[in-house]
Amino acid sequence: MKSKVWLWVILAIVVVGAAVLIWTGQKPAKEVEVAKTVDGASFNPNLFVYVGAGDAETLDPSRAYDTASSEIMFQYYENLIAYKEGSLEEFVPMLATEVPSVENGLISADGKRYSFPIRKGVKFHNGAELTPEDVEYSFERNIFADPVGGPMWMLIEPLFGKASIEDLACEIAGVDSFDQVDEAALLKTARRVMDAIEVDGDKVVFNLNTAYPPFLSILARNSSWSSIINKKWMIENGAWDGKAETWTQWHNLDTEKQVLFEKAMGTGPYKQVEWDRSNSRHTMEAHADYWQGPAAIKTVIVNNGVTEFNTRKLMLQKGEADAIYVPVENSPQIEGMEGVTLIRNLPRLNNVCAIFNQEINAVDNEFVGSGKLDGNGIPADFFSDLNIRKAFCYAFDYDSFIKEVVLGEASVPYGVIPQGLSDFFDTNSPRYNYDLKKAEEYFKKAFNGEVWEKGFKVTLVWNIPNTTRKTACEILEHGIEAINPKFQVEVQGMEWATMLPRRREGRLPMVFIGWLADYADPHNFVYPYLHSKGDFMSFTGDKGRAFAAAQFDALINAGINETDQKKRIQIYTELQKKSLDQAPHLMLYDAYDRRVHRDWVKGFVFDPICPAQYDFYALSKSLD
Amino acid sequence: MLSYIVRRLMFLPVVLFGITVLIFALISTLGPWTRVATFIPSPDAERHVDLEAIIRKYNLDDPPLKMYTRWVNNLLHGNLGWSQSSHMTVMEAIKRRFPATLELTLFAVIPVIIGGILLGVISSVYHNKPIDHTTRIMAITLWSMPDFVLGLAVLMVGYGVLGWFPPGRLSAWAELEVLKESFRSFTGMHTIDSLLNLRFDIFWDALRHIIAPVFTLACLWWAFMLRITRSSMLDVLNQDYVRTARAKGLAENVVIKKHALGNALIPVTTVAGNMLLGLLGGVMIVETVFNYPGLGLLTSTAATRLDVPCVVGVALFYAIILVLVNLVVDLLYSVIDPRVRLE
Repeated sequence: MKSKVWLWVILAIVVVGAAVLIWTGQKPAKEVEVAKTVDGASFNPNLFVYVGAGDAETLDPSRAYDTASSEIMFQYYENLIAYKEGSLEEFVPMLATEVPSVENGLISADGKRYSFPIRKGVKFHNGAELTPEDVEYSFERNIFADPVGGPMWMLIEPLFGKASIEDLACEIAGVDSFDQVDEAALLKTARRVMDAIEVDGDKVVFNLNTAYPPFLSILARNSSWSSIINKKWMIENGAWDGKAETWTQWHNLDTEKQVLFEKAMGTGPYKQVEWDRSNSRHTMEAHADYWQGPAAIKTVIVNNGVTEFNTRKLMLQKGEADAIYVPVENSPQIEGMEGVTLIRNLPRLNNVCAIFNQEINAVDNEFVGSGKLDGNGIPADFFSDLNIRKAFCYAFDYDSFIKEVVLGEASVPYGVIPQGLSDFFDTNSPRYNYDLKKAEEYFKKAFNGEVWEKGFKVTLVWNIPNTTRKTACEILEHGIEAINPKFQVEVQGMEWATMLPRRREGRLPMVFIGWLADYADPHNFVYPYLHSKGDFMSFTGDKGRAFAAAQFDALINAGINETDQKKRIQIYTELQKKSLDQAPHLMLYDAYDRRVHRDWVKGFVFDPICPAQYDFYALSKSLD
Repeated sequence: MLSYIVRRLMFLPVVLFGITVLIFALISTLGPWTRVATFIPSPDAERHVDLEAIIRKYNLDDPPLKMYTRWVNNLLHGNLGWSQSSHMTVMEAIKRRFPATLELTLFAVIPVIIGGILLGVISSVYHNKPIDHTTRIMAITLWSMPDFVLGLAVLMVGYGVLGWFPPGRLSAWAELEVLKESFRSFTGMHTIDSLLNLRFDIFWDALRHIIAPVFTLACLWWAFMLRITRSSMLDVLNQDYVRTARAKGLAENVVIKKHALGNALIPVTTVAGNMLLGLLGGVMIVETVFNYPGLGLLTSTAATRLDVPCVVGVALFYAIILVLVNLVVDLLYSVIDPRVRLE
């Protein structure tokens, strides 16, 4: 009996407790900004939630070289100059008060000296005021840090004509390896860097190695590697102390050992509240002292941890997310969603190709069959024959691919320079089209007719889980096999970790890969795609590199050393045309981008080079 | 009893040694060029990268034995290494993610055990009656349902249609509250922390978020619990002593509660221990569907990105839990069944 009484008491406590909980629970504490409900979705004008998939690697400007990282840094940091809205060639001042040009005397006549007058009254997130010394420190610190795999080559190349700070030190010391560089040479290297970037009164001056037309693009907003950081705060937090003697202590550190790995201290419109790495979530707050006036939206949460699309979609539907990341294959599921805006076909500086490996490593290579031209394989130099390359280019059904696979959100390329940079080439020039007759013609000419007679067998490899590339392989397979029954193409999926060593050893007959611009200049496409030392030609063997050197290097070098804009356009028009005529790669498509947000998000402007999906500073939320 | 516990715990290092050797043996089959892929997230991200420099920097070309001794050496200094896929030390990753999974598991385990046992008992008592058939069909259906299908269905209905149970761990406003300095984190489990901070609004919010994944997990494991309880109960109900109990005129519910259930629970305890482990480890899919960032999500990301230190670290952690849970199960035997003596 006694036990039953106790049971009743417990039950009563539970019921009363639950009632209290429900009663208090429905009303969040007063200081919390409460969302109101609009058509079943919650709306809070002071909070913006962006939900993506895939988090930043680091917030360090010297190391970050992925979109997810620069997306976040874009909100915290600013640059000396910015692109003019709607333009990829004109700039407006940002932390500098003037955009240098030869006319205003801030660029020297030989194009090697750039001066930037620094804006006064700009406050960092900690309240400190921006000085020219901060600007000088920002660039020097990032160049000294120059970690493996980072973006700093972009600044080291125009400033010193080298690919890395280690290369520069090696040159100064006259040795082959950085380990052999002695103390004296290290100090000389430091002086060289510190002389290249100097404070001159209220200006910061850059002394370039050679004239370098895209230099302003490399400094402009959207380039996270040119972010301006706070010198005093950095030193206080244990970063490089600003002395020439000590730079190696902070050089090439493990990503996580740099002060800026997870912290940020910039002048941007938002300041960091937290990066919760275990939940891939960034919380930011409007910078009250922002020099252009505080942002309309007070708090922004970027939640990069929702890998499942359906979850993201539901969050958007319920108004828990104001904007979400939508991969191209999911965009039909967004179309017609109530209260949601879908903006499609935004021309991004991004294209995708399949590289022809002109000298395949055929030793024990499962992808080339017999390794001979006997109908059961391909020889190592199969793709060094222009006829084969052209035949492949004509055998790909571009229109079906764009329509069916990327759902119209792409266009057929004019060459290696994407359409976002169409000022630099002739958009009336011919492009490849799906033409099996022509493909047949070229196959018949290849290897003096041997290919047509004996046939071939090749395996194309795509990286799991990129099914877009899988379908590209299959469409190519379909086209080629329709030409001659002796032609056999096989398609194989592979995990990236398995693929990397094979790609590295030159075993893949064709390498499917995309390029997203670092900065808005055609040089950033022709160099990786066509130069013998570029990233993509490195997958084509010695033969491919020699071919590139003969065909493209001189033109590419001419383009980067030319300061006259008209002449530059001529050079890139020619390179663009040649990239199709010589077909070093099968150019698959120029990719478009899309944005998906609630109708109440106002002020979105598309910027093709902006790493961030949204510039939160430009946005506001309103139900009108 | 104490000596038994000590003896069992002494096995722990042996188990751990075995597991780590096994994992390192597997990893040694991967060359440095495969392992370097951890540092390059995708094929398009390999730009201007000197892969050889990365291999040199992280000693990826060391022989397996050297790698293993270095790892053990670090471990002895309390350092499990850096997890490239989650951007933090492995120790920190586990510490931050485990409370979420533990919270989920604890919330799931209670309804699973109570509900499963209850249904199992009913099912066995009404053996071959309609109620038995219904629960069995339900059990088989749920047990055979893939977790991602059930999870998505629950998400669609609970969040998409009804709007009651959102994904994630907290709503945006609650996240901001938890970030404030005035909110103290004790356990990392939001439901418990919010109660300790007397923030019932946050508690309510955390509860709303946890119900759907818990329901999904519970549905999947109810079936398992139910079937074990049912068969073990049926076995016991056919024993002679139960017939004797009935013969001496005891009421049926006394027979079931006092005589049958206690004995039937012994096998149930064994599987409940395993179920707890299964829940802890098997939340991967449910965590992904409901965007619930726990250990499962951590492990799957680490494994697909070949994040060796993280995979090894989590494996070690699970091994420790496995040994401990098994120990607790063994101890529970002696509580349920006085005949069992642990020496």
